[in-house]
Amino acid sequence: MKYLRYDTDDPIVALATPWGTSALAVIRGSGMGSIELTASIFDKPEVLKKARGNSSHHGFINEPRGGPIDEVVVQVYRAPLSYTGQDSVEISCHGSLPGIAAILEAMKKVGFRDAEPGEYTLRAFLNQKMDLTRAEAVREIVEAKSRTAHDLALGRLSGALETRIEVLKRNVVLMLSHAELLLDYPEDELDEAQDIDTEILSSTISAIDDLLATYGTGRLYQEGVKVAITGKTNAGKSSLFNLFLREDRSIVSELHGTTRDYIESWITMDGIPVCLFDTAGLRPSNSGVEREGIRRTAEIVRNADVVVYLVDGPVGVLDEDREFLVRPDITHRSIAVWNKIDITESVAPDGFIGLSTVTGEGFGDLEAALAHQIGAPDLRGGWDGMDWCPGTRPGNPAVIDSVRQKEHLESALRSLMHVREGIDCQMPTDALATDLRDALDAFGELTGEVTTQDILDVMFSQFCVGK
Amino acid sequence: MDVDIIVVGGGHAGIEAALAVSRLGFESLLITQNVDSIGKLSCNPAVGGLSKGNIVREIDALGGEMGRLIDASMIQFRILNRRRGPAVQAPRAQADKNLYARTARSILEGQSNLQIFQDTVTDFLVDGQKRCVDGVLTERGRKITSRAVVLTTGTFMEACIFVGDFTASSGRLGEPAAVGLGTNLRRRGFTVGRLKTGTPARVSSASLAYSRMEAQHGEAEMLPFSFGNAAVHRPSVPCHVTYTTEQTHKIIRENMDKSPLYSGKIVGRGPRYCPSIEDKVVRFPDRTRHHIFVEPEGLDSDEMYLNGVSSSLPEEVQEAFLRTIPGLEQVQVVRPGYAVEYDYIDPRQLSPDLQMKRLSGLFMAGQTNGTSGYEEAGCQGLMAGINAVRYLQNREPMILDRSEAYIGVLIDDLVTLGTDEPYRMFTSRAEYRMNLRHDSADLRLTEKGHNTGLLGNDRLSLLQERRSSIDEIKELLKSRHVSAKDADVVPDFSSHIGKSLYQVLKTPTVHIRDMIVLEPALEKPSHIITTAELDVKYEGYLARQDRQIRKFQKLEWLKIPPGFDYDGVDGLSSESREKLKAITPLSLGQASRISGVRSPDIALLMIVLGKRDSHGK
Repeated sequence: MKYLRYDTDDPIVALATPWGTSALAVIRGSGMGSIELTASIFDKPEVLKKARGNSSHHGFINEPRGGPIDEVVVQVYRAPLSYTGQDSVEISCHGSLPGIAAILEAMKKVGFRDAEPGEYTLRAFLNQKMDLTRAEAVREIVEAKSRTAHDLALGRLSGALETRIEVLKRNVVLMLSHAELLLDYPEDELDEAQDIDTEILSSTISAIDDLLATYGTGRLYQEGVKVAITGKTNAGKSSLFNLFLREDRSIVSELHGTTRDYIESWITMDGIPVCLFDTAGLRPSNSGVEREGIRRTAEIVRNADVVVYLVDGPVGVLDEDREFLVRPDITHRSIAVWNKIDITESVAPDGFIGLSTVTGEGFGDLEAALAHQIGAPDLRGGWDGMDWCPGTRPGNPAVIDSVRQKEHLESALRSLMHVREGIDCQMPTDALATDLRDALDAFGELTGEVTTQDILDVMFSQFCVGK
Repeated sequence: MDVDIIVVGGGHAGIEAALAVSRLGFESLLITQNVDSIGKLSCNPAVGGLSKGNIVREIDALGGEMGRLIDASMIQFRILNRRRGPAVQAPRAQADKNLYARTARSILEGQSNLQIFQDTVTDFLVDGQKRCVDGVLTERGRKITSRAVVLTTGTFMEACIFVGDFTASSGRLGEPAAVGLGTNLRRRGFTVGRLKTGTPARVSSASLAYSRMEAQHGEAEMLPFSFGNAAVHRPSVPCHVTYTTEQTHKIIRENMDKSPLYSGKIVGRGPRYCPSIEDKVVRFPDRTRHHIFVEPEGLDSDEMYLNGVSSSLPEEVQEAFLRTIPGLEQVQVVRPGYAVEYDYIDPRQLSPDLQMKRLSGLFMAGQTNGTSGYEEAGCQGLMAGINAVRYLQNREPMILDRSEAYIGVLIDDLVTLGTDEPYRMFTSRAEYRMNLRHDSADLRLTEKGHNTGLLGNDRLSLLQERRSSIDEIKELLKSRHVSAKDADVVPDFSSHIGKSLYQVLKTPTVHIRDMIVLEPALEKPSHIITTAELDVKYEGYLARQDRQIRKFQKLEWLKIPPGFDYDGVDGLSSESREKLKAITPLSLGQASRISGVRSPDIALLMIVLGKRDSHGK
């Protein structure tokens, strides 16, 4: 039994444009039923179902049985007239990352799975949509395949995660071999027979839960973190924002309150995508527009993973600044910056990072602090006090950091929950074994397969069997 | 040419092979070392059991004999693991050994086109190019020619038995080994290995005190293994259960140095799933007792089989430890337990039709291929017989896949993975076991048996009858809803008012027999309502399994043409290439199961085969 994922016509989905904010993005789905599945989350399902090949349809993608996610154009391709030679869809949506993520999530909920690298091309080859004589291209795909296969198995797992998953997998193997023992030998021949150990089952379920909870941290790599730059007006927030971007995208002026609303942009810090928000300055205002800006700033600050708070050095730390920085919901995720050290000769007080957005002095310190802050919050307690240097991939903490890991763990969890429900309503062991096997398959996809022989080995080594 | 097909061996594989060949209209010659040993149950006096019972019924559904043989000779019947779920329930019967063997022999004797001959085959004849088999050479120097040979030598090739220090060149106690054949196979370049198995002592029933053991009775209703038999009417006798004691283990430990298993005399690997009592004592030192089943060898036999204490310790040690067991204090040993070591061929040299890849016309079946068990042997014999005929007819072989029969699982495992211990079937070896229930073997395979020509129209109409009765029951369950009045009759149903009986049956604690009071039309023979009930109860699981099967079949249907040039495929890893060339899988599915063949290589093959396909179009 090998977990071969070379299904060549099940529905797969992938983002065809780069993962980043842009005006438009294209999500591509292909495989048997891909049009119908997409129709099931389209606001006019019948239109898509009846659509002819090479036709475009405007409408909304909805959450499965939920509200709209985004306004899109769906291009329908009918087999064999598509890139892969299969029924396919291309969804042109708005290029906001949360929106793209929500559409991908919705598509997977209705039956698509993530495409593996090279999988579209592989299908195109298999359906004779491509020149097969180009052996080079073939090898490329195969290499991509093997890389993925490798990534899928051990390559992507950090040491600690692998160890933890191996422990969980062993638990499942153990439960399954108990179950299989019951199934492979008649009742009267087993006087030491045990049912599936519900304690192991419960502890495995909660261990998977714990592991899934670390996804928030692992998600840093996948979805990035939100960093809000805030402070009183004229503290130099936009200048700092631009310093981060190293390009002039937001308006920088000496006038207070220029940035009435907010501006966001994605940057990368040590491989972690960071969504940077430049917010409206905090000051009392009578203007309705400004009040609205300030309300939004508060919301951004509330949702940010890290808040960079700028103090105007020449003005000094005011009461409002102090109040903000000691707020219990802020203090643990904030970095206080003393700006304009080029103007005054004063040094930044304790707890502040001195910075000049004009000369760039101190910017390195800020980056380091930010990187540390990005890594630190969720990891605290995630492993035994080991320091994690931001920017290097965590070598020690057991943290899941990819959607794939999360999905396999979730699928293992679902199967184990089925086992528990099955035990509760007294399903026979062979039915329970089916779910245990599914759970094991999910682990197999994470860390490499478990063969029947492995299960029999556990059985024979642990139990005295046979008449 | 003397005959069409020679079958070497008269055990469970040989019987099925010879009968299949002659029933399909070809002349067969069954050569056995001893005509009086045809159909012997060399080890335990029982047929069936978990997954093995399913195999017997599959054999029957394909037109084999084993099901009818056990129906005619059973002396106790049980369905095992009723409580553990439908996929793993299986029938097992105690057999009257003599009656079983007598019945088998008389069926062979009554079969037209089939001739029995007593001699020992020592080598086979090959054509000038050494590409195909031409017949056999016997110990007495006879050359018998044929167009195909089915080799079913069981534990007899270069066999050696061990009882303490005693060794003898025998395949069964008192029966000489087949010397020469294994050596000649090696000489001809085939990979031949050694395996070991063992059997416990047979003791005199008159010497046992049954009052000190627990009786174990069979079920009141004996059900037939054969789908062609409506009922079985046979006497039922009990087995008995007793246990080893600390004293037993002490004696065994003290004499361990006298065991040929531990002194290094035996090199062949034994079955871990069926260890000798020496093994059990060594490997599980904390266990204070091991169970022993005392099973009758037959109605007219005084011998009893001591299931659970297979041993090759010296006979006086065997006797000493047996006498520490409750009920066996005065035991008289009739035949001691012994270990047997024998030659088996690496089954990876076979293609899935059980034919030697390097020598056409030579088919191998049974224990010779590294398996263990009557049922495992029988089904291979049947398939080898069918495929030897198809080979003569120049027709496509009949190959069952893993999703349609345990037989398919067994042969695929053997030829793809090989084995280094006697291979026994387990339900856990079958990925799609929900689909492989014993009660559905006829639904799965009867049509195949009929197409092959081994089953007549009578069996086909029986199948159609059963199928429509099952459908009727399901329809009835769907159309009948639980009313408030029903809940008065069956109070447990009060929470089900308004639901159909079909839905209610999905509740784990509800059984179809609870519904007969509400719907008398459900009163049907058990082979109808049980199958209907299981289909309904496990509908969800079956549907899921069906999806998996469809996925599995996609790769199975991607055939790799014979003689495919793996060297011509650029980019295959060298390990995979070697393995693929050695196994020569028939399909991409089989290729993917070869241990050590990497997934990317399968993807590459898929591309290359797809390319060939498109050229072919």
